[in-house]
Amino acid sequence: MTENETGGGATGTESAPMVLEMRGVTKTFGPVVANDGISLSLHRGEVLGLLGENGAGKSTLMKILYGLYAPDSGEIFIDGEKVEIRDPKDAVRRGVGMVHQHFTLIPPLTVAENIVLGAEPRRGVSLDLNRAARATEELSERYGLRVNPRARVADLSVGEQQRVEILKALYREARILVLDEPTAVLTPQEAEDLFGVLKELVADGLSIIFITHKLGELLGVSDNITVIRDGKVVDTVRTATTDEGALARLMVGREVLLQAERDAHAGKASGEPRLEAEDLVVRSGTGAVAVRGVSLAVRSGEILAVAGVDGNGQTELAEALAGVRKAEGGRVSLDGEDVTGLGAEDRRRRGLAYVPEDRASKGLVQDFTLAENNALKTYEEPPFSSKWGWIHPKAMRKKAAENLRAFDVRPANPDARAASLSGGNQQKAILARELSGDPGVIVASQPTRGVDVGAIEFIHRQLLEQRSEGKAILLISLELEEVRSLADRIIVLHAGEIAGEVTPEATDEELGLLMAGGKSGGSS
Amino acid sequence: MNDLLATIGPILASTIRNATPLIFAALGGMFSERSGVVNIGLEGLMLISAFAGVVGSHATGSAWVGLGTGLAAGLAFALIHALMCITFEADQIISGTAINLLALGGTGFLMVEVFGTGGTSPRVSGFGTVPIPLLSGIPLIGEAFFDQSLLVYLMYVLIPITFFVVFRTPFGLRLRATGEAPEAVDTAGISVARMRYYGVSLSGLLAALGGVYLSMSLLSAFTENMTSGRGFIALAALIFGRWNPFGAAGAALLFGFAQALTFRGGQQAIPPEFIQMLPYILTIVVLAGFGGRAVAPAAIGRPYRKE
Amino acid sequence: MNPRRMLGDAVGALLFPIIAILIAFIIGAIIVLATGNNPLVAYAALLDGAFGSKLSLGRTLLNTTPLIFTGLAVAFAFRAGLFNIGGEGQLFIGAITAAGLGAALGGLGPLTILLALAACALTGFLWGALPGYLKARFGAHEVITTIMLNFIAINLATYLALNPLRGKGIVPGTGDIDPSSLIPPIGLGFGQANYGILLALFAAVVAYLLLWRTKLGFRIRAVGLSPGAAGYAGMRIGANTVLALAIGGAFAALGGGVEVLGVYGKMTIPFVSNLGFNGIGVALLGRNHPFGVVLGALLFGGLASGAQQMQFATDVPLDLADVLLAVILLFVTATKLVELIVGKRARALAGDTRLEKGLGS
Repeated sequence: MTENETGGGATGTESAPMVLEMRGVTKTFGPVVANDGISLSLHRGEVLGLLGENGAGKSTLMKILYGLYAPDSGEIFIDGEKVEIRDPKDAVRRGVGMVHQHFTLIPPLTVAENIVLGAEPRRGVSLDLNRAARATEELSERYGLRVNPRARVADLSVGEQQRVEILKALYREARILVLDEPTAVLTPQEAEDLFGVLKELVADGLSIIFITHKLGELLGVSDNITVIRDGKVVDTVRTATTDEGALARLMVGREVLLQAERDAHAGKASGEPRLEAEDLVVRSGTGAVAVRGVSLAVRSGEILAVAGVDGNGQTELAEALAGVRKAEGGRVSLDGEDVTGLGAEDRRRRGLAYVPEDRASKGLVQDFTLAENNALKTYEEPPFSSKWGWIHPKAMRKKAAENLRAFDVRPANPDARAASLSGGNQQKAILARELSGDPGVIVASQPTRGVDVGAIEFIHRQLLEQRSEGKAILLISLELEEVRSLADRIIVLHAGEIAGEVTPEATDEELGLLMAGGKSGGSS
Repeated sequence: MNDLLATIGPILASTIRNATPLIFAALGGMFSERSGVVNIGLEGLMLISAFAGVVGSHATGSAWVGLGTGLAAGLAFALIHALMCITFEADQIISGTAINLLALGGTGFLMVEVFGTGGTSPRVSGFGTVPIPLLSGIPLIGEAFFDQSLLVYLMYVLIPITFFVVFRTPFGLRLRATGEAPEAVDTAGISVARMRYYGVSLSGLLAALGGVYLSMSLLSAFTENMTSGRGFIALAALIFGRWNPFGAAGAALLFGFAQALTFRGGQQAIPPEFIQMLPYILTIVVLAGFGGRAVAPAAIGRPYRKE
Repeated sequence: MNPRRMLGDAVGALLFPIIAILIAFIIGAIIVLATGNNPLVAYAALLDGAFGSKLSLGRTLLNTTPLIFTGLAVAFAFRAGLFNIGGEGQLFIGAITAAGLGAALGGLGPLTILLALAACALTGFLWGALPGYLKARFGAHEVITTIMLNFIAINLATYLALNPLRGKGIVPGTGDIDPSSLIPPIGLGFGQANYGILLALFAAVVAYLLLWRTKLGFRIRAVGLSPGAAGYAGMRIGANTVLALAIGGAFAALGGGVEVLGVYGKMTIPFVSNLGFNGIGVALLGRNHPFGVVLGALLFGGLASGAQQMQFATDVPLDLADVLLAVILLFVTATKLVELIVGKRARALAGDTRLEKGLGS
């Protein structure tokens, strides 16, 4: 696994001294083995990509390095010295800095206050805020991390907040910088800026571990790539000698699914438009305009996919279509009827099913039984309740048992609490509820996010089946493969607007350009 | 006109006296809540300290010893709250309510055990008024502000000190950060639990000063349930003052002024009960006005568990 | 549900209360020892005074009655994900309503009781709806507003009792209610115990049916467990917040009404205090389940009446009961402590006793 000492690589990092080595790190959570004997090494001035699917164990490994988890076994060496990292303080003392996927900033405090927290410059007993601001400015100039030290973090953009996170680590004199999925929240432009900063940092002698599940972005930025699957290191490869296909095979370990199936069913979109949006404008929870004048139509018998980088208005679009978020402007129609003023309940009655992206907190009441969850939207209708206001738990249980069996939810026990199910089975339970009412229109927001492969296949099959029954389906997905393999048409959302529409045959480059905001010349 | 001028002084003096225990407790509540621990137990912390101060003074004849025992009791009860909320991850609202009931029941119990009877304790030596030369001679306001107990002067000093500590020191930065985003504080290598223990402990000491002032300055004896809701008014002042020392002190002075008006006029138009309601009504209005959530420390009331 | 799971659930549900009660009694024993008395003697007297005879049982039932109501006030709101600390004030609102109306209606007999209690439920409902509205409309946290409303209610009731509704008696308070319009005692040797206890038990059954057998309850529980999912399912969070706190308020107010109509025959000033706050402990001991509330109230009520016997038999002040109640409340949500005692499983069992979201968000 450690073929690193072979020396003389094109980038020259292998000849540089090794700053970090992790050997045989294992960590289990109950029955789940998150890290299974993982080993990796990092040299001075190197960018090491840590690649793996969601849940492969990347974040766990880095939390161990940062002292947030204690490993069950394994060793960590920093600068050749065996170390034990008990808490983040230890990690910081050893020169390890970490930029978490979810920022650890304190919104009401200023940039400088955030940066010095825990290592404050003092003047007598008081906090020397001027010195804190100066130190911030110096660092930000040196590495091109532009940010105003006296601004409140709450007022910064996500990209700026990430810069503050990096500055925080640099202020603590980090020499090993771990970035956990740093581009997940960034626009393509911000991501480019970040890559520029990383080059400055390694030129200055820092070493970087770059965690991601997007294999494309590693090719440009890393020297070596360690691929993790199911908690194990699959391989470590030189970036210069690999390509996306090879990485994808290493990462996924299976051939990409479903291409053939789609073709078998394709081309049946013929019906009337069933779900339409016209000039839809929607604000997000923070008050910012998230959807800026989107118009679309979904016909029966087709899957219209909405692709795009996360956070470009997909969530708000789906919520506005489903009626759980009010539209600021524009119209939503179901089967030609204007339903803009109606809530989720009324739209459901008119045949709209909605699978929300946040399965755990929006799709299910975790502490309700599956029977109760199954009746969550229809508890006021017979046979679940009477007109006097009483509900009938027995009827709920009976209907749930049928649905759970039909959708292969395990366990198919109506008395089980939703929280006791795996993610995939929770999602199947939601589908069971939403699809059993024979809806005409389905809005599915990231229906396969974070579920196991078996459930993904099941869900895909269900969506295709619904399509061949003539349902109109709007599928929101961040996974290009999924979009391509299921959709009949693809629209790409960027900054709340439709950047363009393409067919599933579009290349990665075409889609990538649209996702980055470049308008396509052709269709609208 | 002369009548009016003649009443201003006494009303101001009464305002200060009413506000002092509220300000102490509100400043204490601020330390606790800024660290992310709700302190509904301020009432109980004041009550137990008021009692312990009297016991200390009664046993030794020294008001200073009473101050010491009062502070010790306030700290001890605060540490119980801290132990429950921080270490045992109990619900902070429930723990605070329990602290109040424990202080009420405990002082009732101890009154019988220590003084042999419920109701009111024997008189003890306390902190009388000490006029400050020159300043107390200022017309109209001099006597009101500068012919008061030493504890009142301590209160004057503590407001700016508290402000400085919370907003101008590394400790204050860490405290505020802990109340806003404990996860961030943890990853910065600072112990969330320790910061919260500091915050709650300080709330105990400051609330204790309020309690001791009640039983050893305003009165010179302990009577059962003598705090009669002042801890909750302090909580209201804290919210009304937006978790800021000067804001809280200002709110406490306003509430103290309202009380001063009740105690003075015998036959004014507004019944005393309505003036008693005022702090609570104002706090609700303010909460409704700015949404309540926007200004409270973001992580308040939420136990922090390390992964 | 299979029997084994039900048994497991029952044991789990009782774990927190049992540990809290045990700790309280151990601390109590130490305190009794410190006073120079024998804890066993003291506790024997406590038990005897609480349940030892029909007379003491009657006294216990008398104490239990209002606590069931205030416990339900907390538990009902809790099921909607809300902390109702306002039971104290809601009880005062009910008490002054019953006292005022009861005295005004004169001797209509049982009809007075019915009308007065209906009025209690209504005023309590409205008073409880207030913090619900403040939360739904303005986002003001219900813990703070219900605390503040306690003092507003107490002062309001005090003002009414001492001014417009002041009776002629020497004891400050409202006028006397006609004896024919009072809730009658049970008799049968149960001392002062009155039929209010049956009303309280009836209220517990109503609370149970409302929560688990009606659409309203389904909504309230869904909103309480997951506002996100409930909202996405088309339920109105705000309306349910208002309703749950309002119904809670009605329960607490009925408690005040039953106290006035069953025990005092008027509202004296100062009125009996801390019934509302102790309702919080009752609800938590009962895991916020209506039938658990009844058991919790019985324990609290028994402690209060047993303490008198204890003071008589030893020389331990009866305030010890208040101390024990406070200690139980202190420990009843101590998740981590229970976890230290019985292991990680404890966290899952804490579900019915805590709202984790905090006051900030």
